[in-house]
Amino acid sequence: MEDEWTLVIEGDAAPGIIAPFAAWRKKPAGAGVWVEGDAEAEEIGPLVAAAPVVAVRFPAIVDGRGLSLGALLRTRYGFVGELRAFGDIIPDITEYMHRCGFNAFVLPDLEQAEVAIACIGRMSDHYQASVRQPKPPFQEPTTRRP
Amino acid sequence: MYQYNAFDQRFVEERVEQYRDQTRRFLAGELTDDQFLQLRLRNGLYIQRLAPMLRIAVPYGLLTATQLRALAEITRTYDKGYAHLSTRQNVQINWPELRVVPDILADLARVQMHCIQTSGSCIRNITTDQFAGVAADEIVDPRPYCELMRQWSTYHPEFDWLPRKFKIAVNAAQADRAAIHVHDIGINIRAGDDGRPRFDFLVGGGLGRTPVIGSLIREGLPEQHLLTYLEAILRVYNRYGRRDNKYKARIKILVRAMTPGKFRAQVDEEWEHLRDGPSTVPDEEIQRIKACFVPHVYEDLVDETQLLARERLADPAFNAWMQNNVAPHKRSGYAIVTLSTKATGVPPGDVTEEQMDAVADFAERFGFGEIRISHEQNFILPDVPQKHLLAVYELASEQALGQANVGLLTDMICCPGGDFCSLANAKSIPIAEAIQRRFDDYDYLHDLGPLDINISGCMNACGHHHVGHIGILGVDKRGDEFYQISIGGNQAKDASLGRILGPSFKRADVPDVIDRILAVYVDNRLDGEPFLHTVRRIGIEPFKAHVYGVAEPSAGEREGPAPRMKEPPALRRAG
Ligand code: HEM
Ligand code: SF4
Repeated sequence: MEDEWTLVIEGDAAPGIIAPFAAWRKKPAGAGVWVEGDAEAEEIGPLVAAAPVVAVRFPAIVDGRGLSLGALLRTRYGFVGELRAFGDIIPDITEYMHRCGFNAFVLPDLEQAEVAIACIGRMSDHYQASVRQPKPPFQEPTTRRP
Repeated sequence: MYQYNAFDQRFVEERVEQYRDQTRRFLAGELTDDQFLQLRLRNGLYIQRLAPMLRIAVPYGLLTATQLRALAEITRTYDKGYAHLSTRQNVQINWPELRVVPDILADLARVQMHCIQTSGSCIRNITTDQFAGVAADEIVDPRPYCELMRQWSTYHPEFDWLPRKFKIAVNAAQADRAAIHVHDIGINIRAGDDGRPRFDFLVGGGLGRTPVIGSLIREGLPEQHLLTYLEAILRVYNRYGRRDNKYKARIKILVRAMTPGKFRAQVDEEWEHLRDGPSTVPDEEIQRIKACFVPHVYEDLVDETQLLARERLADPAFNAWMQNNVAPHKRSGYAIVTLSTKATGVPPGDVTEEQMDAVADFAERFGFGEIRISHEQNFILPDVPQKHLLAVYELASEQALGQANVGLLTDMICCPGGDFCSLANAKSIPIAEAIQRRFDDYDYLHDLGPLDINISGCMNACGHHHVGHIGILGVDKRGDEFYQISIGGNQAKDASLGRILGPSFKRADVPDVIDRILAVYVDNRLDGEPFLHTVRRIGIEPFKAHVYGVAEPSAGEREGPAPRMKEPPALRRAG
């Protein structure tokens, strides 16, 4: 899949570039921003809300902090742009990310991207509310009670 | 008993297929060991010293006879014909082959069971009182709330990749049989002034390397807020719990580092955003789940006081069993029976397929087809008519499930230890066995009264040694197995952590040490005073003195029968 954005781990912000938060703050026009999964949503949330892309780094498969950050950016700070996950990601984890509001995933190759799409679509229902499903099933009696 | 609807059933079935695909990709080399590890842990599959171990979820310890028979069948088909009841009310099998695990999961799904989140850094099986719904001292039936939380925690989008595993326990009775003070979250349910249930939250309790009693951070929460408040706690933990050191990653470390007051403030702040939001539980949903737990259609029976008195008089062994293994039921004419798995020579909690089938039969013949598993690793028959107690006792005895030792010294909690576990410093099962062999006189055991001995093979504390009245911990001394002994721990309402007596002992000495501890107790106890209270009253010094031979036990004459002094038998290798 073509990517119109280029992520730079270090470097300045510019249109078409996803830059680290500090650089992005200096020159946000047309640029995307990336943050670590443990970034303070309360600090960055209000600032990044208007960015076209926010990318969140997941340093390890087991590190779920980015999930909370994604959910907070979407539900509390009204971020509607592209929420991208990158870092140590396997297709199976993208389902959690998707439910927490991510809509772009950086995977090693096309094959894995296809597996990820299958993973995201596999479970028909979930028990909880999430970014994708603002109400839990018990608030929607018809789907809940067969 | 909660009954799956089409939604629940589809959910477990799709989860099985998802895992089947993950297993296939792993076997095809598309997932690395490390990647697959995380996926299989979330379906209960560990790879242990000897073989894989599969942990099957038994939500809040509740099983039907059909489910128990299915478990027996699974151990026959895929395993070695036995299973292990765990201290978190689950069931473990020790020998499943990795490639057939998806088939086992499919068999489980057929009887509304699964292995979801029985391991890994996620919210684990929620545990409660093994007598829930039938205990005479119950205030509120906790099971519908446990089920509500089970559903909420299942495959949660945000909280399946926590810093560390997360354990929730619920108590709703006068006595706390769920050890809520030593869980990541302990919930106490009580009745509010308006008669509606109210929830108190203890956070940051736990055992392991750093044993801590949980801190009370919220009192009297009404039921509709249960899930939003849990979300607030979990979100704070997920964001701020340490991830750099797995021994500092439990929520107890975070609560302590922040202080309980600041932690509570942070949770409250988060909760302000969530409260009254979409995850607020409507009364309708609570009623829907409650409807699955309506009391059974009990017969109008009367208490069989005279019959039981006669039967007890006629058979001292039955009398001892009645005294220790039978608890009062909400309904007159009924009783709650605990079937002890703690027979001498059997690893605590191990049960065979024949025993499982037999217990399923008992549950149908002498009840409503329900069974419980307690965190003390025993089976419970929750609804036995009193007039059938003798029959149950006799049938259970034929299955080596009639030990009259519930709550006594030989009803030990014991982790798998060095025989099965790669993290162990020392074996634990042979210690349990040596103690059972030494103390096999029911009269003496009975005279000693309530006594929890808990054994862990290392400081991960799977055997809850910190909260045993006597705790035994395997330690490694220059490659040799040694055992550190503590006394004064307690898991119930007035929970406390044991204090270490002193330098550790060789395995062969442990039964003697227990003997000496008990001698000090017997010499010092006041009339009817249980072990724990004596320890609390006189402190650990007299015990220390006698155990390490500094001085003789303090007070005068020995009362009660002397312990049977036998040579410790040669230790059999378990497993
Ligand atoms: C045989 C393989 C096992 C391994 C490798 C293992 C490993 C561990 C580890 C590493 C911990 C510490 C977690 C922490 O403090 O964060 C732990 C805790 C625990 N384990 Fe196990 N365990 C095993 C078997 C069992 C069994 C069979 C039971 C039940 C009988 C059990 C019950 C527990 C409990 C209740 C805790 C919690 C203690 C706490 O609250 O900190 N474990 N286990
Ligand atoms: S306490 Fe230690 S030895 Fe025992 S099962 Fe847990 S990790 Fe293994």
